[in-house]
Amino acid sequence: MWRTHNCKLILLTICLIMMILSAGCVQQKPLEKLGLITMSGYDLEGKNILKGTVVVQKFDPMTQAATKVITSKAKTSKGLRQEENLQSNQKLVSGQLRSVVYSRDLAKKGIIQLVDTLNRDSSIGNMVYLTVADQTASEILDIENDNKGNLNLGTYMYNLIKQNVEGEQIISPTLHEFNHNYYDIGKDPVLPILKVKGKDVIISGLGLFKDDRLVDEMKHGDLFYLKILIDKYRAGTKEIGFKKDQLKKIILKDENYTKKPIYSKIYVAIDNIRSKTKIKLVDKKNLRFQVEVRLDSRVLETTQALELGKPSSIKFLEKKFNEAMEKKIEKIVLHFKELGIDPIGFGNEYEAHLRGKTISKKEWDSKYKESTFDIVVKNTIKRTGVID
Amino acid sequence: MKIDLHPKEGLLVNAFLVLFFINAAQTGVGVIGLPRIVFLAAKHDSWISVFLGGLFTSFVLTMMVLMLKKYDSADLYGIQVDVFGKWIGNALNIFYMSYLSISFFVILMNYIEIVQVWIFPDLPTWQISLALILLTIYAVNGGIRIVVGVAFLSVVGTTWMTFILIVPMEYADPKNLLPLMNTDIKHILNGVYKTSLSLMGFELLMFLYPYVKDKKKVFLYSQIGNLITTFIFTAITMVCITFFAENGLARTIWPVLSMFKIVRLPNLERFEFIAVSFWMLIILPNMCCYLWAASKGFSRIIKWKQKKGIWIIGILAWGGSFFIKARYQMNELTDFVAHLGFLTAFCYPVLLSVLVLVKKWFQGRKQSSVEDS
Repeated sequence: MWRTHNCKLILLTICLIMMILSAGCVQQKPLEKLGLITMSGYDLEGKNILKGTVVVQKFDPMTQAATKVITSKAKTSKGLRQEENLQSNQKLVSGQLRSVVYSRDLAKKGIIQLVDTLNRDSSIGNMVYLTVADQTASEILDIENDNKGNLNLGTYMYNLIKQNVEGEQIISPTLHEFNHNYYDIGKDPVLPILKVKGKDVIISGLGLFKDDRLVDEMKHGDLFYLKILIDKYRAGTKEIGFKKDQLKKIILKDENYTKKPIYSKIYVAIDNIRSKTKIKLVDKKNLRFQVEVRLDSRVLETTQALELGKPSSIKFLEKKFNEAMEKKIEKIVLHFKELGIDPIGFGNEYEAHLRGKTISKKEWDSKYKESTFDIVVKNTIKRTGVID
Repeated sequence: MKIDLHPKEGLLVNAFLVLFFINAAQTGVGVIGLPRIVFLAAKHDSWISVFLGGLFTSFVLTMMVLMLKKYDSADLYGIQVDVFGKWIGNALNIFYMSYLSISFFVILMNYIEIVQVWIFPDLPTWQISLALILLTIYAVNGGIRIVVGVAFLSVVGTTWMTFILIVPMEYADPKNLLPLMNTDIKHILNGVYKTSLSLMGFELLMFLYPYVKDKKKVFLYSQIGNLITTFIFTAITMVCITFFAENGLARTIWPVLSMFKIVRLPNLERFEFIAVSFWMLIILPNMCCYLWAASKGFSRIIKWKQKKGIWIIGILAWGGSFFIKARYQMNELTDFVAHLGFLTAFCYPVLLSVLVLVKKWFQGRKQSSVEDS
């Protein structure tokens, strides 16, 4: 009895020692000796050469500037890392990478080989934001130098995108979503386009991709519609212009400021409380999709006093809104069809009804060219603010 | 060799714990790659395959329990000798033992690979395998009650991870599941076949049976255990199909871990680190169960002490870990065990139970005719 007990004790001791010893064998990574890459940018520099720029966050109590921008050239993104390491006194690690910028040239030629390395690396998270630079990526990352390292660009960029995604201004451009849309046959990715403005970086629009290649850009005026079509959308403001005679019926006549109009048109700003978009495949053979958008909105601002108290005039305004939006959405959808891109995911809808066979990317592309769309917008004006 | 095994009263376990034993033995490294493996076969209907696989397991378990009930208190080692005689029976016993040992080894190596890919790329295999094997040996040395206890703790301690699935569901696209039942029956069945590696483990019931106190309840609890596993696996597969795009899932080696990457806690950005570490709790009972059942063979067949067997298998597994050098070797081995497991864990018990039932029926008739005359 005593012997077996002793034997077990020895075994337990060996186990514990093993655990402790093997814990010590693993490579250690003390924070002070690391340079955390928070943002990286890629440019195409001539043939076969990539130019990489990274913003590195440091944890060094001795130095003032907390960040550093490093530029290097290599063939692959991991090669860039090697080169960048030569310029750093701290080991560069990418576990804190928050956003990646690709130059416009690169994006036009295709970025999947660079996205692939992000996917392959287990230390890089799924929620990294992917973006496209209006011109070059290094131009954007150099902002950090212009601000003498006070901007903390990695965090700034992360918050810039995060804030706008949460505020439903742009479509979430995470690595996961890019992957999902890229690998999905019936959908194409969209990524925000960044631009330098003074000493700041701003989001100037949305890049539309065909597979991994940038083909078109959407200015933020139209983002509202794209967002409605792609996402469940909450809280977004849109101003819509009408010609005066379009709304003649409901213009309040006796108001003072109708006599001195500043605008030649009437603009009404509405706020979208919630929206729901249903894409239905109505005709499987001829590929007719019905896009039904249901919007709950409230009127925020009108440039001309409108008679919003009467139910009939609200109905009238709703109808006008529907017409204007239908027209606009149809234009966008047809534009997408012309370019052969499908950020909305008509292909997915088609695939979901495809029984007995699978469809290849090529087949879908040719089918997409033949499809037609019915667009129905049902806008309900729920409120008009605290006044009529 | 005695066919029946009558352990001391103090060694018996409650029938209720069979539920945890089955569940813990089934859930292991297989499930991390399960959605992709099945997806490659059955496309977006693979969750149906997984569910059918679970039902099939249920059927095999039923047959198993029917077979075990024909004996007073026997395990597979005894039954094989009873059915096939001393020589063939023992040969089959040794075969089954080696199957269990290889399964033990494959679980170990798969987990080590995950740790190396996801957390510590430069951790040598022999260190972590030594640590894990010693831990397993330590647990199994304590006997069956400790093994079942580890299984219980593992299930209780890791079930919460199922709820993490809610987070990736936010990013899910349910349209990926449509149209339902689009894959033809051949591919779905192929998917069921691919599920076998992940569902393996329930066959260990044939070794645990003599140690269960209330043998009448074994059927009920083993079925519940298997159903829980089936539901969890089906849910995981469903979420994976909707979370990844079709071509994306086909490329991801460990979809469950890749999916966990999306989870972000305020003070911990990378949940998969926790997941991989916690997975050790999931595979530990797995390894314990297999090692225990395999080493049991030593005491049953050649009447050695079971402890000797534990050490022999442990050292062999540790030695074997030096021979696996690359991912493709691991793949080949895992595939081999998946095929082997389908035959030995799914098909063979059904065949054996039919044989046992027929044999017992004949014996019963003989006896009754003897009594009659």
